[in-house]
This record gives sequence, C-alpha cells and structure tokens, in this order.
Amino acid sequence: MERSKIVETCREVIYECVPDMEGQPLYEDTVINTDTAIDSMGFTMIICRLEARFDVKIPQRQWSKMSTFGDVVNAFDKRINRRF
Amino acid sequence: MKTKAFPPKYNSFTEVLRSFSQIDPDRPLLIYEEGGAPVKKSRADFAASVLARAEEMRSFGMTCLGVLCDGSLDCVETIFASAVAGLQTVLLDENAADTLLQEQIRQTDIDILWSSDPDLVEELTPYLTDGITPRTESRDSSVEGSDILFFTSGTTASSKAVVLTDRSLLAAAYNGSCMLPLSSDDTLLCMLPLNHVFGFVCGLLWGMECGAAVALGRGARYYTMDFEFYKPTVLSAVPLLLSFLVQHKLMNSELRLVLVGAGDCSPQLLSSAVQQGVQVSFGYGLTETSSGVAISVPGSPSFDPFALAVCPEDTVALASDGEILISSPSCMMKGYYKHPEDTAAVLKGNLLFTGDIGKWDENGRLHVIGRKKEILVLADGTKIFLPEYEARIMAALPGRDFTVLERDGKPVLLLVDKESSTWPEEMRELSRSMVQEELRGAMSQLPRGQQLSEILFTDKPLPRTATGKVKRWEITSP
Repeated sequence: MERSKIVETCREVIYECVPDMEGQPLYEDTVINTDTAIDSMGFTMIICRLEARFDVKIPQRQWSKMSTFGDVVNAFDKRINRRF
Repeated sequence: MKTKAFPPKYNSFTEVLRSFSQIDPDRPLLIYEEGGAPVKKSRADFAASVLARAEEMRSFGMTCLGVLCDGSLDCVETIFASAVAGLQTVLLDENAADTLLQEQIRQTDIDILWSSDPDLVEELTPYLTDGITPRTESRDSSVEGSDILFFTSGTTASSKAVVLTDRSLLAAAYNGSCMLPLSSDDTLLCMLPLNHVFGFVCGLLWGMECGAAVALGRGARYYTMDFEFYKPTVLSAVPLLLSFLVQHKLMNSELRLVLVGAGDCSPQLLSSAVQQGVQVSFGYGLTETSSGVAISVPGSPSFDPFALAVCPEDTVALASDGEILISSPSCMMKGYYKHPEDTAAVLKGNLLFTGDIGKWDENGRLHVIGRKKEILVLADGTKIFLPEYEARIMAALPGRDFTVLERDGKPVLLLVDKESSTWPEEMRELSRSMVQEELRGAMSQLPRGQQLSEILFTDKPLPRTATGKVKRWEITSP
C-alpha cells in the first residue's frame, strides 16, 4: 500500500474518533500528546480502529513509543508493507 | 435466586481458596474469553488450578516472582499461586519501558519472571537477580501474609515498591465489600491493570470477596467491546477511563454501579455518568493503604459523590495543616521495599502521612481537596495551592499545555510550544507579551506576590505520571 494512502487513512480515522479535530492539520511531526486533543484513551481507540482498518496488529508495548503522527504512520507502514 | 452476600473476612489467599472449595464451589468466579465467547470458571476449579500451580512453584526453589500483568486468567492464577507458595510477588506493568522494567527487577530482587509473552521473558531474563536472601527467622505467612509488591509512581519522587500482603489486600477488599456490597448476581468487569493496587483490589478482590463473578477485561483493544461482551453490572474505573466510556456511550444497560478512584475526578464527569443511568461512587486511598480507605456510598437523595465515609477498618484524622493522616492496622503497607528512610518519612508510629489535604463536612464526611505536595511555598511565606492556581490559568489559556513551577521563591509559568526553541528573541518576547495579556484578568485577582513572575517556553512535552499529573520534580530546566 502506498504510504500516502496510509497517511490519508490515519488522518481519516483520527478525525472520526476525535471530531473536534476536524479541519486541524496533522503533519508528520505533529506530537499527539501536546499538539492535539487526543488523550491516552482516545489514542487507544484510534490505534484499534486503524488495526481493524489495515488488518494488522501493533504490539501494545510499542504504543507508548509512538509520539508523533509520523510515528503512527510509520508503525502501520512497516507492518502493512513488511520489509524483511 | 438473588442472595445478598455477607462479606466474609479472609486473612490469606489460602483461606480464600479453601472457602471457594467448600462454599458454593460451582458458583462462577471468573469469566474470561475463550474462542470468541465468554467462559466461566467456578470457584472450586480456580482453587484447584491455583493450588496445583503453587505446588509447582514451591519446587522451583525461587524466592521472588515478577509477574508482567496482562489481566488474563493465567495471570490471576499465577499471582494467587505465587502468594500461596510463599514467594515474594512483584506485580509489573507489561507495557512499561524496557529500562524501567529492568530497574524494577533489580530493585525488588526478582529471580523468576512470568509473562504470557515468552519473548518479553527472554528479553528481561538477563536482568534477573539472585533473589531475596532467605529469612533466617521462622515466619508464619498465614499470620503475616505473603508479600506482594506494587510500584507506586508517586508524585514527588521516583517510583518505589510498596510492600503489601495478601492479608492487607484482602482487608482492603473487605472494606470495599462492607461499604459497597455486591450480590452473587453481580458481574464486576475488571478492566484496570492488576499491577495497580486499585485495579487489583477494586477490579478483582472486591468482586471475589462479595461472591460476585469477575469478568476479566481483554485489554485496551477491547475497551469499546467488553461491555457488550460481558454485560457487567459493576465496574471499577479511573477518571480517564470513565471519561472515555461516557464520551463514547459505551456502558451497557445492565451496568448499575461504577466505582471511580485513583485520580482526581470532575463533578461534571460524574454527573455525565449518572445521566447515562449508572450510580457512581468515588473512592480515596493510596497504594500504601492497599487501596481505598474512604468511599462515597450512593443512596440518599442529597448524595454527594465526593463526600467520603471512612471504611470500617480505617481511622482518618486531619493534621493542623489539613493533611490527611491514616491509621489502618490491617491494610497498611509494611513499608517501601528496601527504603526504610522513605518509609519512616511517611509512616510515623501507626500513622501514614498521606501528603493529601482534606476537610470534614458537617455530616462527618471526608472531602479530599488537594495534594499537600502541590503547594508552592513562596519566598514571602505565602502558599499557592496549585490545582486551584492552574485552573485559573487554564481558564485564561484554554487548550494550552503548561505547568507552574517555583523558581527563586516565585511562581513561574512554563508553557509548552514545540516551535519555541526555533524562535528568535523578538518572537519569544512577542509570545510572552501575548500570554501575559491573556492572563492579565486572572492574575489581577491575586495578591501581587502570588502573580506569575515569569513566563517560560519549552519545546519538550511535560513529563507526566500515568494519571496525567505533571512530574514537576523532573523539570530541572529552564
């Protein structure tokens, strides 16, 4: 899957889960904790929805390591387009 | 037939298991997921599994088991078995950073690990120790209890291991059962991590003690689905979880009671939950007291969820400065593991100095109004109560991430802005002026000495505890 498609889906799911953020830009370096209205529970919901949408699982121990929007995209990109 | 369970009082997990084998052995104790469906495990089956596992553990010759908690049936049985086998048991967060887990293993002398993830065990095995020194004096664990250690993040210092026992944890669960009895028809949903004392006591033992069934939540991935899957009638939740459930309307129609604890909670959140058809109770306690010491009990028309009744096994007093002091012979910690000075600093005689500030209302109910450690003492001798002070700033700067620190005896505002390190000085000055302007109204209502003396910017996220409190002690600059 093209990375741009993953970015687009990640944005879509975030706006779905946190409607208040609709229209706010999400850049690769947007820090989830401090630049957005996403709290830790909201983040959990977003990751779960993305896992369902992409049909891949991100190990829970890695969730806390995803700090920026770009980290989230990378985590899914890595698993969808698994590179050995 | 609905039976109101009279809370039994157990002294050890061994006694609990004996009771499970003899009284209502076929009654469901735990509900968990298997093959996509909820499956029930009876009291007798649980007791048999735990006793067999304890026997196996005794043969290992190990002294201290670290359990990387995932909330599964296997995990619950392992914790019980370890305590029954007389091992020192340390409950760890399986999702914690590797370096933190390595440090916690070292700190608590863990010589064997349990996790449902074999890779994680393999990764951490090199950090195992030689275990605890065998005790030379004879020790009767049925009297003293088996040691179970919980890490507290604390809000004033780095994480410490609190030594509790199966006995103290059961006494805390007994307290909960007396204050908020559950019936054998109830299903308590256990969603909180078992390595947190509130999750362990109020998410698991409380239900077990009352004869209710405990449904083992399936982890963060299933937060949105566990309510429809298990149809619980009771839930223990931290404020953040409750907020999420209320916001997304996830609570099932059978849910009748939510016990909220382990963090500050807004009245708005509680009333939103009540509007969704559940009763809400608020609990106050510390890891050091094996969880709750005071709980609000719903029922009366004038019910105030923040007016707390002290539990039967506890005594609460207020010091002259309002600090909450707790005496709880049956629920009190033994101390911080290998930190006798830290223990002595908070546990004086049989009194725990909590660092929390409270007040009594006219009905003799306790209200927790803040944390003593969240008081800034200024150079002129006056004090700032930070939650109130920061709420004032929050109202003026909505949506901004900040904290208030004390520098040179004066209050200083530290604002997070990820671009700030790239700002030229003119831009920094302009931003400062704009913030000052926004704060003008709020500050003007304060005595001059309590008004902010400086506005600083940082591009780094504020370090926070698991419950969202800023770890001020970790901020050394600017």
